[in-house]
Amino acid sequence: MLEIKNLNATVGDAAILNGLSLSVNAGEVHAIMGPNGSGKSTLAQVIAGHDDYIVTDGSVRYDGEDLLVLAPEERAREGVFLGFQYPVEIPGVNNAYLLKAAINAKRRHQGEGEVDAFEFLQLAREKMKNLDMDPAFLNRGVNEGFSGGEKKRNEILQMVMLEPRLAILDETDSGLDIDALKAVAKGVNAMRSPDRAIILVTHYQRLLDYVEPDFVHVLSEGQIIRSGDKTLALQLEEKGYDWVREAASA
Amino acid sequence: MTSVAHELVEAAVDRLPVDALTPARKVALAQFATSGFPTVKDEDWKYTNLSAAIEVSNACLANALEFKSKASWTAEAKRAIDDVLENLDANWIIIANGVTALETLANAESLEVEGIHISRLSSGGAGSEIISDDPLTSFNAALLQDGLQVRIRPSAYESKPLGFLFFDNVQNGGLSQARIIVDVEAEANIDIIEAHVSIGSEPQFANTVVQLNVEERGRVAYVRLQDRAINHIQVGKLIVELHKDAEFDFASFDFGGSLVRNDVAINIARAGATAKLHGLYLAGDKQHIDNHTRVDHRVGPAVSREEYRGILSGRARCVFNGKAIVHDGADGTDAEQSNHNLLLSETAEIDTKPELEIYADDVKCAHGATVGQLDKSALFYLRTRGLGEDEAAQLLTRAFAARILTASPIESTHAYIGAKTDQRLDELITGVAP
Repeated sequence: MLEIKNLNATVGDAAILNGLSLSVNAGEVHAIMGPNGSGKSTLAQVIAGHDDYIVTDGSVRYDGEDLLVLAPEERAREGVFLGFQYPVEIPGVNNAYLLKAAINAKRRHQGEGEVDAFEFLQLAREKMKNLDMDPAFLNRGVNEGFSGGEKKRNEILQMVMLEPRLAILDETDSGLDIDALKAVAKGVNAMRSPDRAIILVTHYQRLLDYVEPDFVHVLSEGQIIRSGDKTLALQLEEKGYDWVREAASA
Repeated sequence: MTSVAHELVEAAVDRLPVDALTPARKVALAQFATSGFPTVKDEDWKYTNLSAAIEVSNACLANALEFKSKASWTAEAKRAIDDVLENLDANWIIIANGVTALETLANAESLEVEGIHISRLSSGGAGSEIISDDPLTSFNAALLQDGLQVRIRPSAYESKPLGFLFFDNVQNGGLSQARIIVDVEAEANIDIIEAHVSIGSEPQFANTVVQLNVEERGRVAYVRLQDRAINHIQVGKLIVELHKDAEFDFASFDFGGSLVRNDVAINIARAGATAKLHGLYLAGDKQHIDNHTRVDHRVGPAVSREEYRGILSGRARCVFNGKAIVHDGADGTDAEQSNHNLLLSETAEIDTKPELEIYADDVKCAHGATVGQLDKSALFYLRTRGLGEDEAAQLLTRAFAARILTASPIESTHAYIGAKTDQRLDELITGVAP
């Protein structure tokens, strides 16, 4: 589904990704781990299409098509979703309005009519219940005055409503208390399906106790230096990142 | 040309019929003879150049066109008028090219039953003073063919909003002067809508004055909506006098016009009065919209609140000047003013200046202004959710404007003004798209 080859990307004058390659198939859950500054978030932003990040070499193909030529909104409508590490507060833009606009943008792209208002509300309420979210959040400004945990739950809500084919969750677990972490994990697990791929970008292995990945990759200085199964995450937790880095350079 | 040729103004004044307004016209003419039009050398007109208005005035006065009291409305005119009349529920009085359309006064009798008394200034207007305290109000008073005096009695409390539709279709050579004097009696309560609409591709200059006097415990909700043709000039002044415990809740919306200058002057004459002012201006390429407000706190305690917001694109140029003057002895004054602007292009320009002058000791005053651009991270966030660039910008600008739209005091106008806002924002955004 996602085929990244020799990806090189810069932000400003800094080279952040230096020849990253990664292959993700439908039905798989990948965890990308790595220390701060290793390029995890840059990878997520490049896939989503942020124009501060310049791709200088390599390719990203999504279902065989060149993803990098698409505008961020086109990627979203094709089923790519980014859960932000720092979800943006947008005062005055109603949460329900954004959800509906997002769903309709995708439906229009697929040649479908707009979502029925009643069905939309019912679905949103049901999904919010699963995430332990107060339905009152629907009528608040997008992330406006939300706590860290509420913002992350809101990202997951958007994900489950939009039903992307490729979901990248950027440090969705950071700063969450255990209840919020469980709610987020529940949302992610509910999304697992044979025709969907999920990439979890994370610093800690904590989330992986609740969402079991098929593959774990370690990112360092803009490259994947080691890949393995879920046991790799446990080893990292135990031995730290230096251990992989030393092993890689040895 | 720096001013209107005086002999032309004098000749035009002489052509007007002798009536109850004649003495006021003479006084105003003499004042205007000394002042002429303001220039950019005047502090209050530093950023707003009236030479285009002077040109229209000279051309119109030189042609010695007759003032017509009845406008013949074309299909286009009717469409523009009906758009307002059908979408905003009010008892409408139409002032066409500065002159009250007689047929709209036909319902004056039914308004009388509702506690609203209307009379013509040319026939005495219940003896109200015709204020001419600056060059443009003098120009207006000197050339005023007629105007209305409206008295709101306490029994008017459950009437529909009272609507004044200032409509111009360049029938009188493009120059129009209109004046309305509203006296709100003690304990009376009224909603007023002031709408400005014009059509026609030729230059046009409308100069309107509204005098509003609110007696003890009177309450006025006032919405001003300006959507003139994109090449027309509008100068307007709203002069408000607030007495004891009077309330004035005002919202102003500017969508159209090439050169627009709004003055709001509020005099808090007695204690306990409250003035709330909100404004929204949406200016596109080459539009110039200038809002000057002035609140004189002469006694305390009294409260004034002001928030204006602007969204500018292309080569739009806007001016905000909000002045609150707390006079000596006006203790217990509580005044706040703010102005926020969103620039959608590099070439748009805003000159903003909230001003406080405080001569009393025990006061609470605050002011602030911001100028910014669309939040890039919010734009990106919305795009990653599938919204197109324009749709995302529309959503963010609408959110920025929402504070003013929801604060507007006449709820029945919200849907129409909201739709106008959406339409205008759409034009501003797609006009600046790369």
